[in-house]
Amino acid sequence: MWKYSEKLMDHFMNPRNVGEIEDADGHSEVGSPQCGDAMTLDLLVDDDENIEDVRFRTFGCAAAIASASALTEMVKGEKIGQALDIRNRQIADYLGGMPPEKFHCSVMGREALTSAVADYMRKRDELERAARELLASPPDDIPDALRAARITRAHSKHVWVASEADLPEPDLEWLGLRLSGLTGRRVEARRDET
Amino acid sequence: MTVYLDNNATTMPAPEVREAMLPFLGDMYSNASSFHSFGTAVREAVEQARSRVAALIRARPEEVYFTSGGTESDNWAIKGAMARHGSGALLVTSAVEHPAVLEIASASGSLGFESVLVPVDSGGNADIEAYRRALEREPALVSMMMANNETGVIFPVGELADLAHQAGALFHTDAVQAVGKVPVDLEARTGIDLLSISGHKLHAPKGIGALFVRRGVDLEPFMHGGHQERGLRSGTYNSPGIVGLGMAAELAASLPEEAHSRLLELRTRMEIGILERCPGSAIVARESDRLPNTLTAIFSGVESESTLMMLDMEGVCASSGSACSTGSKDPSHVLKAMGIGSNLSNSAIRFSLSRYTTADEVDLALDVLERAIAKLRRISPYV
Ligand SMILES: Cc1ncc(COP(=O)(O)O)c(C=O)c1O
Ligand code: FES
Repeated sequence: MWKYSEKLMDHFMNPRNVGEIEDADGHSEVGSPQCGDAMTLDLLVDDDENIEDVRFRTFGCAAAIASASALTEMVKGEKIGQALDIRNRQIADYLGGMPPEKFHCSVMGREALTSAVADYMRKRDELERAARELLASPPDDIPDALRAARITRAHSKHVWVASEADLPEPDLEWLGLRLSGLTGRRVEARRDET
Repeated sequence: MTVYLDNNATTMPAPEVREAMLPFLGDMYSNASSFHSFGTAVREAVEQARSRVAALIRARPEEVYFTSGGTESDNWAIKGAMARHGSGALLVTSAVEHPAVLEIASASGSLGFESVLVPVDSGGNADIEAYRRALEREPALVSMMMANNETGVIFPVGELADLAHQAGALFHTDAVQAVGKVPVDLEARTGIDLLSISGHKLHAPKGIGALFVRRGVDLEPFMHGGHQERGLRSGTYNSPGIVGLGMAAELAASLPEEAHSRLLELRTRMEIGILERCPGSAIVARESDRLPNTLTAIFSGVESESTLMMLDMEGVCASSGSACSTGSKDPSHVLKAMGIGSNLSNSAIRFSLSRYTTADEVDLALDVLERAIAKLRRISPYV
């Protein structure tokens, strides 16, 4: 039997942030098909790209479950970039130590996080590209106000639009619907107030 | 409180066994090979133990050799028999043997012989057609276990031995998990030439075992030294262990008729409890002829080490066939041989009962298990 710290056992017995997020910004499924260990992770990312919520599921040993739980606690509220910098060592430290043979068990959690963040970024970049392309070669039915507008930044679920002129709400809705059609996801266009 | 359901790993030494051993850890310390009457007294106890072990398996006392346990008995039987043949001789064994046998087959190349593994079907039963084909290659020795330590599946070794003899091979069986749990009758099963016994699986202590060597079977000595055990297995007699094994054999031989059915009832109670209370569970080799004390259950979507951990927190001792420690998981070779994929075999837990197990213990284990499985399934990505 492995010698686990009290904190690790607590995270194993009472894992934090278990489950999934409906309409997640980033989703991942990782695992090793040969050993059967598997994990899913969902992210909710706020407008400033902080991790607003995170949920996971794990099929693995106690150390795998505890380190996934610990990781979710560690990254909540963090900027997505910072979350990716967390090392196995830090997870082990957070849990009050881990047998060295069990270090690898925390790898799956980090993989899941990395790939969920990548999933978010992929959606974000895809949306931004679609929006820019749409405005660069506007279709005939584009509302006039959007002809002079430009995309400032994006999130997986919305793009921010700026313009010197007025941007009426129905025009933004038109853009949102168009982009939803292009990306196959429900997305919105928002006025960039900054 | 501890609920011990890991009796295929090892058993509690019976109180009578401990009592019988104590004098030999105290006043009766002399060397059983010594000339003086102090030594002779110990020698008599050793020989009484030999008779008791022989009686349990219906063999002659002179066919029983004491060893340090099941691993040694397996090693001696196989290496000792193969050593009587030239290089290139063939060993036939099964894919589900204990590592004490399987690792010898893996090392056969460097030991100077060849080996072939007989597969099993999804119920853990030896593939008889493949077995017959292997016998056509005229092996020197066949080694097929009597009962599997993980699934409890019983091989029909009497018949397998007869087939081996028809093919001109000697027949060894690893009966470590069978002896003391199911009747073993070497007077009736004349095809069995060699049979391994381990003390700690039948309520004797660890570090003592025996090898049955049928009269007339020629075996290379395993331990060279001071000529104990007719020069075949040297080393000062482990008199406390031997006396303990003798007492354990005596106890197993004198178990009441209903001991077997009582164990079977408890095992069934546990199996039905698991199937009814743990969603996604299945019993491995349920339809096969099995030891009455052993059950392996698969809890799909729930990783076995996590389950063991939760059981352990509540004092329930069980085990799993897979070992996951250094990054790559080694799923149980037994379940793999039965065609069970690594996902499922990494969800397998073995519960092994003993004659000391009570219905209350089974019920308590089921309560703990139901909670653990429900909890882990809530965390699982698979369900
Ligand atoms: C089938 C089988 N063979 C051999 C052994 C090894 O016996 P021992 O522990 O006495 O060396 C075991 C014990 O795990 C076993 O289950
Ligand atoms: S996940 Fe494999 S040992 Fe922890």
